[in-house]
Amino acid sequence: MVNAVETRMSDRNGVVGAHLPHARCRRAAMLGVIVAIALAANAGAAPLEASAEGYRRYLIEDIGQALNGARTLRERLVAADLDGAKRAWIEGRIGWERSEVFTSGFVPELDQQIDAWPNASHGFHGIEVKLFGANRTDVGDETDALIAHLADLHAQIENIPLDPQRLLNGVARLAFEVGGNKADGGESRLSGTSLNDMQSNVDGIELAYRVIFSGAIEASDPRLADAARAAIERIKATVRISDLRSLDAEKLRADSEELVALLQSAAPKIGLSKPTLEEGSQ
Amino acid sequence: MIGDAKRGWRDRKHRPVIGQRGLWAAATLVVLLPHAATSFPVDGDQAVLPAGSELNEDALDVPREVLHSEYRGDRTSYLVALGDLAFNSPAILGDVARRANISCGTCHVNGASNAKLFVPGMSTRPGNFDTTGPLFNPKADNHVLDPVRIPSLRGARYLAPYGHDGRMASLRDFVRNVVINEFAGPEPSAAILDAIVAYIQDIDFLPNPKLGARGRLNESASETERRGEALFSKPFPRDPNLSCAGCHLPAGAFVDHLQHDVGSGGLFKTPTLLNANFNAPYFHDGRYDDLGQVVDHFDRVFGLALSAQDRGDLVAYLRAVGDGRQPYDRDSVMVRFKEISTFSLLLAQAIGMRDREAIELAVDTLGGELRDLTERFPDHRNPAVTGALVERRLARAALKDVVISLRRIAIAVTTGDFDAATAEYRTYYDLTFSRAMPLLRGTEPWSLFNPALREAHGAQRRQMLRTPAQAQR
Repeated sequence: MVNAVETRMSDRNGVVGAHLPHARCRRAAMLGVIVAIALAANAGAAPLEASAEGYRRYLIEDIGQALNGARTLRERLVAADLDGAKRAWIEGRIGWERSEVFTSGFVPELDQQIDAWPNASHGFHGIEVKLFGANRTDVGDETDALIAHLADLHAQIENIPLDPQRLLNGVARLAFEVGGNKADGGESRLSGTSLNDMQSNVDGIELAYRVIFSGAIEASDPRLADAARAAIERIKATVRISDLRSLDAEKLRADSEELVALLQSAAPKIGLSKPTLEEGSQ
Repeated sequence: MIGDAKRGWRDRKHRPVIGQRGLWAAATLVVLLPHAATSFPVDGDQAVLPAGSELNEDALDVPREVLHSEYRGDRTSYLVALGDLAFNSPAILGDVARRANISCGTCHVNGASNAKLFVPGMSTRPGNFDTTGPLFNPKADNHVLDPVRIPSLRGARYLAPYGHDGRMASLRDFVRNVVINEFAGPEPSAAILDAIVAYIQDIDFLPNPKLGARGRLNESASETERRGEALFSKPFPRDPNLSCAGCHLPAGAFVDHLQHDVGSGGLFKTPTLLNANFNAPYFHDGRYDDLGQVVDHFDRVFGLALSAQDRGDLVAYLRAVGDGRQPYDRDSVMVRFKEISTFSLLLAQAIGMRDREAIELAVDTLGGELRDLTERFPDHRNPAVTGALVERRLARAALKDVVISLRRIAIAVTTGDFDAATAEYRTYYDLTFSRAMPLLRGTEPWSLFNPALREAHGAQRRQMLRTPAQAQR
C-alpha cells in the first residue's frame, strides 16, 4: 500500500512516460505504475487524496501531449504544411479531451481560452474554423496564444491541489456530457473529429475513475463498483466505432446517465458528497 | 480510412479483457498503456445532415399550438399527450432522423409548419422537403428532386384526404407511411400510432376573429375584404361552373376534399385557406411566397381578367380568412415548461399504469428536451454570453440533475420496481418544478432565450458551420 503510493510519487518526481527517451524505459516505468495501481486496487481503499495525487502524472502527460500538438502545429504552419498542421491539431486534441475531467472544473478560465465553444474565435475551435473550415494556415497568432495557455496550464498542474470531490464532479460532469448531443456533427464538426473527442473523453473518464475512485468504491460496495465498471465498458463499446454517423446516441445517453447515477450513489459510500454536474454550482 | 487508423490506435489500448472483477488489474494495465500519439488521417464532416442545412431550431417565435381538448378547458387526454410526446420524439423514426435529432415536430413545429426548414439536396427552397429523397430512407428514394411544401397540421381532422395529392383517405395510414417509409422508422405499435393520430386530430385551427358562422366574414371586416369575399364566390368568366368558393367551401373549412388540376402540374387536393397567412410558401411544391402570387396564378390560368382593385380585394379577403389569433409564442422558459409539464403528467400516469412503452418514450423525449434546454444556458466555454455565470451553472446543474432523476425512473422500470419509479418520480417532480424552474426563470435574461444573445450565438454558430467553399467566399 505504502509502496504503491511511493512508486507513483517517485514516478511523478522522476521521468514521466512521455518524456522518456526510449520506448523500453517508458514501458518499464509504465509497468511500475500498473503494478502499483493493481496493488492499490487489491489492497482496498487507498486514501482518496493519495489516489487523486496519483492521477496528477497522467494529467501532466495529457496536457503535455496537447502542448506538443500545439507546438507541432506551429511548426507545420511555418512550413506551410496544411495537412501536417491539421494532423498536429488533431493529435493535440487527444490529450486535451482526455483531461477534460479536470480542466472544466479546476481551470475554467484557461478552459475558455483553450477550448471555447461554439462561438470560438480563439483556442482549438477558433483555429479549427480557419484550418479545417477554410483550409487556411494564417492561424499563427491563435496558435501562439494556444501554446501560451497550454504551457501555462502545464506549469500550473504541478501544484494545483487535486481535491477528490472536485475530480468526482469532473468525472460525473464529463460522463453526462459524453451522453449529450451537442449538435449534428458534434463538437469538432469541421475537422470531422467529434468522435475522437468522445473517445478521448471516455478514455479520460475511465482513467480518472480507475486511478482515483475504483479502489475505494470496490472496497465499500463491490456490486456498485461492478455496475460502474460495466457502464464504463458499455460506453467504451458504444464509442468504439469508425464514423460518428453510426453512433447509437440513445444507448450512449442511457449508459452515460446510468454511470452518473451510479457515481451519485457511490459518492457517500466513499466519504464524498453527491457530485455536482456543473462545477461552481455546489 | 479514418476508421482503420482509429481502430489501430484504439486496438493498442483496448486489448481483449478476459474476465470480470478478478481481472481488474489487467484492465487497468490496458488503460494505462502509453498514450499513443498516432496520427489520424484528416477526414471530413461526419454530420448526418448536409452542410448548409437549416432546421430553424433557434427561431425566437414558435407557432402557437391550440389543442382542442385544452381549448375547451380540459386537460388533454392521456392519448393526446402520448401522441404529442411521440410526435416530438426522434426515437420513433429511423436511424438517420434519430441521429440528426429530427422528429415529426421538427418540420411541423407545434403541429404547424416550418417555413424556414431547408436541407440541401432535399429542398429546393425553404419550407419544402422531398419525402422521397435519398437522405432518410434510400429505399423510398424516387431519384427525382420533387419536394413538397411542409403543410401545417392545424385542423387536419377536417382536411381528409391526406397528402398533397390526397393519396390516402386515412390519417392513420398516412402517419404510418411517414414513419415507416419516409423516415425509415420501425413499425410503430398500435398504441403509439393511435396516440399520434389522436394528437394530430386534436390540433385546432387558430381562432379567427374575422370569421363568423358558415365561414363568412363578420361585421369587423373592411370594405375591401367584403368586395374580395364577393369576388371569391363570383363565377369565373370563362367557365361559370367554377368559382374560388366552389372548391374552397367557406362553410367547410375552405376545402372540398377533392383533387383538382389548377395548372400547377397535376392533380392536387384543395388546401384549406384557414390560418393560411402562417402557412407560406404556397402550392403543393411551395412555389409561391405570398397570397398575391397565388391570386396571380389563378388570374392567369383561369383567365379571370382581374383589375388591380379586384386583385387587391381578393388578397385582402384571403388574408382575412387566413388570419388567426396570436399565431406565435415567444420561445421562453415558461413555454418550454408548459410542454415539460404536459409530458411529466403523462409520465406520472404512465408509471401508474405501468405503461413501459410510454415511460421509455417520456424519459427519452423529456431527457432530450431537458438537455437541449441546458444548452440554452451556456457554460463558461461560450464567450458570447457573459454575466451571471454562477447562476447559469446552477441552472445547468439543476437541469442535469433532473435528467439523471429521469434516468433513475427508467432504470427502476427496467428492473420492474414500479414503487421505486414512483418514489423517484416525486424527486423528479420536485427537482423540475421546485428547483430547476425558478432557477431558469431567474437566469433567463442571461440565456439564449434573450433575443440579442440568441442572435449573436446563432450568427456565430452558423459562421462556424459553413462549408470550406462558403467560408472562402
